Amino acid sequence: MASKFWSNQADSETESDVSDHEEDYENEGQDDANVPDPNKYRIGDSDSDDSEVKRVVKPLKDKRFEELSMTIEQMKNAMKINDWVSLQESFDKINRQLEKVMRVTESDRAPNSYIKALVMLEDFLNQAMGNKEAKRKMSSSNAKAMNAMRQKLKKNNKMYEDLISKCRENPESFKDQEEADEDDVDDGFSSVSTEPSIEDTLSDVDVIDVNQLVWTTMMNKKDKLIEKQFKDPSQVTWDTVNKKYKEVRAARGRKGTGKLEPVEQLTFLTKVAKTPAQKLQILFTLVSAQFDVNPGLNGHMPINVWKKCVQNMLVILDILEQYPNILVDDTVEPDENETEKGTDYNETIRIRGNLSAFLEMIDAEFFKSLQCIDPHTRDYVERLQDEPLFFVLAQNVQSYLERVGDHKAAAKAALKLVELVYYKPQEVYGAMRNMADQSDDNIEESRTESKAFVNTPEVVPRKPSFPTSSRELMDMLVSFIYAHGDERTKARAMLCDIYHRAVSDEFSTARDLLLMSHLQDSVQHMDISTQTLFNRSMAQLGLCAFRAGLISEGHGCLSELYSGGRVKELLAQGVSQSRYHEKTPEQELLEKRRQLPYHMHINLELLESVHLICAMLLEVPNMAANIHDARRKVISKTLRRLLEINNRQTFTGPPENVRDHIMAATRALSKGDFQTSFNVINSLDVWKLLKNRESVLEMLKNKIKEEALRTYLFTYSSSFESLKLEQLSKMFDLSESQTHCVVSKMMINEELHASWDQPTRCIVFREAEHSRLQALAFQLTEKLLVLAESNERATEARFGGGGGGLESLSSRRREGQDYASVAGGSKWQDNMSYSQGRQQSGYGGGRSYGPGQSYQNRADQSRGGYQSTRYGGLEARGGQMDGSNRMVSLNRATRV
Amino acid sequence: MAMSKYDLTPRIAPNLDRHLVFPLLEFTQERELYPNDQILKAKIELLNNTNMVDYAMDIHKSLYHTEDVPQDMVDRRVEVVARLKSLEEAAAPLVTFLQNPNAVQELRADKQYNLQMLNERYQIGPEQIEALYQYAKFQFECGNYSGAADYLYQYRALCTNAERSLSALWGKLAAEILMQNWDIALDELNRLKEIIDSKNFASSLNQVQSRIWLMHWSLFIFFNHDNGRTQIIDLFNQDKYLNAIQTNAPHLLRYLATAFIVNKKRRPQFKEFIKVIQQEQHLFSDPITEFLACVYVNFDFDGAQKKMKECEDVIMNDPFLGKRVEESNYTVVPLKDEFLENARLFIFETYCRIHERIDVGVLAEKLNLNYEDAERWILNLIRTSKLDAKINTQTGTVVMEPNHPNVYEQLIDHTKGLSGRTYKLVSQLLEHAQAQAAR
Repeated sequence: MASKFWSNQADSETESDVSDHEEDYENEGQDDANVPDPNKYRIGDSDSDDSEVKRVVKPLKDKRFEELSMTIEQMKNAMKINDWVSLQESFDKINRQLEKVMRVTESDRAPNSYIKALVMLEDFLNQAMGNKEAKRKMSSSNAKAMNAMRQKLKKNNKMYEDLISKCRENPESFKDQEEADEDDVDDGFSSVSTEPSIEDTLSDVDVIDVNQLVWTTMMNKKDKLIEKQFKDPSQVTWDTVNKKYKEVRAARGRKGTGKLEPVEQLTFLTKVAKTPAQKLQILFTLVSAQFDVNPGLNGHMPINVWKKCVQNMLVILDILEQYPNILVDDTVEPDENETEKGTDYNETIRIRGNLSAFLEMIDAEFFKSLQCIDPHTRDYVERLQDEPLFFVLAQNVQSYLERVGDHKAAAKAALKLVELVYYKPQEVYGAMRNMADQSDDNIEESRTESKAFVNTPEVVPRKPSFPTSSRELMDMLVSFIYAHGDERTKARAMLCDIYHRAVSDEFSTARDLLLMSHLQDSVQHMDISTQTLFNRSMAQLGLCAFRAGLISEGHGCLSELYSGGRVKELLAQGVSQSRYHEKTPEQELLEKRRQLPYHMHINLELLESVHLICAMLLEVPNMAANIHDARRKVISKTLRRLLEINNRQTFTGPPENVRDHIMAATRALSKGDFQTSFNVINSLDVWKLLKNRESVLEMLKNKIKEEALRTYLFTYSSSFESLKLEQLSKMFDLSESQTHCVVSKMMINEELHASWDQPTRCIVFREAEHSRLQALAFQLTEKLLVLAESNERATEARFGGGGGGLESLSSRRREGQDYASVAGGSKWQDNMSYSQGRQQSGYGGGRSYGPGQSYQNRADQSRGGYQSTRYGGLEARGGQMDGSNRMVSLNRATRV
Repeated sequence: MAMSKYDLTPRIAPNLDRHLVFPLLEFTQERELYPNDQILKAKIELLNNTNMVDYAMDIHKSLYHTEDVPQDMVDRRVEVVARLKSLEEAAAPLVTFLQNPNAVQELRADKQYNLQMLNERYQIGPEQIEALYQYAKFQFECGNYSGAADYLYQYRALCTNAERSLSALWGKLAAEILMQNWDIALDELNRLKEIIDSKNFASSLNQVQSRIWLMHWSLFIFFNHDNGRTQIIDLFNQDKYLNAIQTNAPHLLRYLATAFIVNKKRRPQFKEFIKVIQQEQHLFSDPITEFLACVYVNFDFDGAQKKMKECEDVIMNDPFLGKRVEESNYTVVPLKDEFLENARLFIFETYCRIHERIDVGVLAEKLNLNYEDAERWILNLIRTSKLDAKINTQTGTVVMEPNHPNVYEQLIDHTKGLSGRTYKLVSQLLEHAQAQAAR
C-alpha cells in the first residue's frame, strides 16, 4: 500500500534508468531556460509511457504532486547508482517543484513525501560520508557534487527540522498521513490506484522496504515461537536448546539476519540452558555475536551492548570458576555433545573459546569508543567511568588464566591492566579507585538475573581490587609479565613501566630501565602502537628529567621528537597539517585509528615549552662560546631555526604562543638578562600543569642564572683583565660558592682562559689569542692534515685498503663533511648526556631481559643512547620530514 | 649507630660464602659497630647451617652466659659426627690412594687415563670420586679449610663434570682465603675468572651474578695482597665487571674509588670512573665517592675537605680498608694514611689547576695541615717537580707558573703524525705497485 502512489511512475522509471544520464544532461540545459515546467520536456522526450500521460488528465494540484513524486523516484535511482551529479540536479528540481506544490495546495506545510525524501536523502548522505572507501573511488565531479549536496541539504533541512525529526521518530505515522493526504488528493481519481500490476512494478527500494517489514513481523513471530517453545520449563530438554542454538548459530552472519537478532535469541537461550557447559557455550557465541553488532571498522560498539558483553564475560568466568572441570580451549574442536554433560559430570569438559581474545576485543572496543566520543562532552566522562568495569574483568580473566596455567595469556591480560594504569599519576589513580568503590552498587543492580535453569552465583569478584598505590599495582603486574609474557607484551610492559616511573618522578630508575632493555635499538621493528608508546615514554622521560633539573638529559630525550616537526603524529595525539604532501584517505583513516583517547594525552604545550627551554639553556651559552663560527657545534637545530626566523622579523610583538615566549627569553638570556628571561618563561601558563610548580620554577630560575653567567663570561671575557667574584655573584644573584663552582668548571673544561687569584678572589683572564703568524701556521697545519687525509682516502679508495676499510672511510668522510657542524655537538652529547655506552651494554648482560643483546664495542655505544643528533641534523638539512632513525617514524611505517 | 652508618657488611654478606662472613663479623665486633649481642646472634645464625657446632655452642654460652646448650645443637653435633664418619668411609679408598706418594706419581696429565687407571688398578670409580667431593665439602663446613683445600685440589684433577669442577674451584678459593694464603688464592681467583669469562653461561644473569660474587670474594685478597690495589682496578674496571657493579652491586664502587685514589698511576681510567660515580650517585654514595664528586665534578673544595674527614671514619670501620698492621708497639692502618695523603694531593692538584696565586694559609687549611707543614709539603712537591710553582714568602703565597701550552710545541704536535702517515702511505703504495708488477 505504501508505494501505491509511486506505482504509476514505475514504467517511466524503468526506461529512465537506462537513459538517466543523457536525460539529466539535457535537463540541465533546459532547466535554466524553462523553469516553470521542466518535466514537460522530459516527458515529451521519453519514447514510451505516452499513454499514461495522455490517459489521465489530472488537475493541476495532482499533477504537481505527481511531478514531485517523479522527481523523488529519480532521486532514488540516482542514489542507487551513487550518482551525485544527477542527485544534485534532482534536488534542485524538487525544491522548485515544492514551491509550486505549496502554491497549489495553499498550505504552509511541506508534503510528507517531500519530507520523507529529505530524510532518505539525509540518511543516504550520511552513509556515503561515512563510507570513505566509496568516497575515494568517486570521480572528482561526483565527489564535488556530493559535497555541494551536503551543504545544500544542510541549509535546506534547517527549514524542515521539526518535521524531519517527527518523521524520524515516527515513520509509520508519516506513511499513514501521507496515505491520508494522498487519499485526499487522489479523491475521485482511483484510476491510478487501480493500476493492474502493482506488485510487478514495485521499485526495488520498495521491495526491500516491504521485505524488511515482513522480516520484522517474522522475527517477532519467531521470537514468540521460541517463547512458546520454551514456555514450559519442564519440557525444555538439552536437545531442544541445543537444536535451537545450532539454528541461531547457523543463521548468524547470513544475509538477511539482523545483527541484534541473534543476540536477543541467544540471551534468551542462556536463560533456558540446561547444563553449565551448555550455558557457557551459548554465552561464548553470544559474546561474539555481540561483537558483531559493531557497525564497522571505524565505529564502535554501542555502549550498552559493550556493558552487556562485559557482564556476559563475567558470567562466563563465574561458570568457569564454579565448575573447574570445564576447560576453555580454542585449539581443538570439541565433541558435539560435550555440553550435554551436566553438573554431576566430573571429567573435564572442553568448550571452544578464547578468553584472552575476547578480552582483547572488549578492550579494543572500549578504546575505540573513547576515540570516537568527543572528549569535551559528558558522554566521554561517563564512558571513562566504565574503566573499573573493564578493570575488574581483566583482573578476573588474568587470575583465571593464571590458575589454569596459561601464563602467556594471563600476561596479556595483565598487560591490559597495565595499559589502563600506567599513564595515571597517583592522584588520578586514587580517584579511579574511589570511584570504583562507589559505583559498585549500580553494577550489582544490573546484574539481577531473571531466573534461569542454570543458576550462576557470582563467584568472581565484581569489585576491582586496587592496591593503594599505583606503583604497587604496576610492580605486581609488570613483574608477572616479565616472567611470563612474550616479547611484545614484555616490551610494552617495560615501556609502560618506564612511563609510569617517569610520571612519578623516578628519573634514574626509568632511565636505567630504558637503557637496560635496549628498547631504543629494537623499537623500530615493532608495531606502530608500541612505537607510539615508546615515543610517549620518551616524552614523559624528558619531562621528568626537566622536573629533576637535568637539562641536558631532558633535551636529549625531547630533541628527537621535535626534530621532524611531526610531534603530534609521533605521539598519536592528532594530526598536524602538512603543506607539502597530501595524505591519501587510507593514511588518514589509519592515523585516525591510531589516535589516543584524549585523557591519555601528554600536554603538547608543556612538552614544547620544556623542550625549547632545555634547548635554550644549552644553546645560548654555546652560541656565545662559538660566536665566530656559529655553524660549528649546534646543540639544538630547532631552536636555532626558530631564532633565525625570529630575527628576520622586522617587528617583534609581545609573545603570544609558547615559541614566542621562549624566543623572547632566549633573546634576554643571550644578553645576560636573566631576570627578564625568567619572567617571560614564568608567564607561560603551562606551569600550572606541574605538580611541584614552585620547586620547578625555582630550579629553572637557578639554571637560567647560571647559564646567564656563563653566557656573560663567554661574551665579555675578552674585554676584562680581571673580574671580582663578589661582583659576579652579585650581578647574577648567585651565591659565591655557586659562582665559584660554575667558573671553576669552565676553567677546567678550558672553556674560559682564566684562573683564580685566590688572595684577592678575582678571576684573572689571560690572553689566549694567537698572533697572526701563529694563527696562519695553525691554519697551514690544518690544511696539511686535510691533505694527508685525502691522500689516504684516495689510496684506500684505489686499492681497497683492505676489508671494510673503504666503506668505513667513506662513511667517515661523509660525516666529516656533512656533519662537520654537528660533530662537535654530538661529541658534547657523548660527554655530557647519559648516552653512556658502558652502562647500557652492562645492563643488557645484567638482566635476563633481552638476553640476546651482546656487548657492543665502544664505538657503537657512544651512539647507542637514544640520542642521534647526527642523523637528526642531516635530515633537517635535507629538508626531509622523515623521522630520524632513532625516533620512530610513522610515515615510513604506513608506506610499508 | 653513627658508626655503622657507612657499614657495608649487610650488603656484602649476601654475596659471600657463610664462612667468609665470619671475618667481617669479627671485625665489626672488634670495632663495636653493633651491640655485641646482635653480632653473636648473627654468628649463631650463620653457624646454624654449617657443621661447626662446637663453635656455635661456645658462642651460645657466651651470649647467654650459661653452661647449658640447647638440645637441637647437641643433636646436630651427633648427626654431624655420624655423617662425617660415613663420608670418611666412602671416600677412604681414594684418600688412602692419594696419601700414598708412590701411587700419586702414577697419575698423569691425561684425565681419561687417570680415571681408567684408578678404576682398573685400585677399583676407584666415579662413586668414590664423588664421595671425595662430598667429603671435602663436609670438611669445609666443619671448618677444616686446609683439608678441604687439599681434597678439592685433588678432586679437580680427577673430576670430569664441569659444573662440579667449578664449584670445587669456588670451594678451594674460599678455603684459601680463609687460610689467608693470598698468593694461592689469587691464582685460584684468576682461574675462576677465566672460567666465568670464557664459559658460555646458561644465562647472562647467571654470569653477572658469578662476577659479582667473584668481585666480593676478591676483596679479601686484593686488600691483603701486596699488589692488590693495582689488580683490583684491573679487575673491577673492566667493562664487564664495571657493568656488573653498576647493575647489581654499586656498593663495590667504594673499593674501586679507594683503589683509584690510593693508586697514582691509574689516571687515564680515572676520568671515566668519575662519570660512573656521577651516574650511580642515586644508587650509592658514601663519603669516598662523594669526595671524588666534590673534587672533580663540583669543585667544591670546602666540601671535599669535610668529606675527607668522613672518609677517615669510613676507612677505619671498613673490614677491608681498615686492615690493621701491628708495628712494634702500636697499630696503624696503612691504607688510611695513604688515602689521606693522596686525597690531599688530589685536592691540591685540582685547586692549583684553576688558580694562579694561592695563600699558603688558606691552602694549609684546605689540606688539614698547619702552616709550617703545608709549606714544607708544598716545598717537597716543588722539589720533586710534581708542582710547577714558586713560593713567595713575602706575601705568603704560592704562585703557579703559567702552564699554557707553547704555540711551537702545539704546532709540532700537530704535524708530528704527518710524516709517519705519509711514510705509511708511500710504503703502502709501493707494496701495491710491487704486487702489481709481480702479477
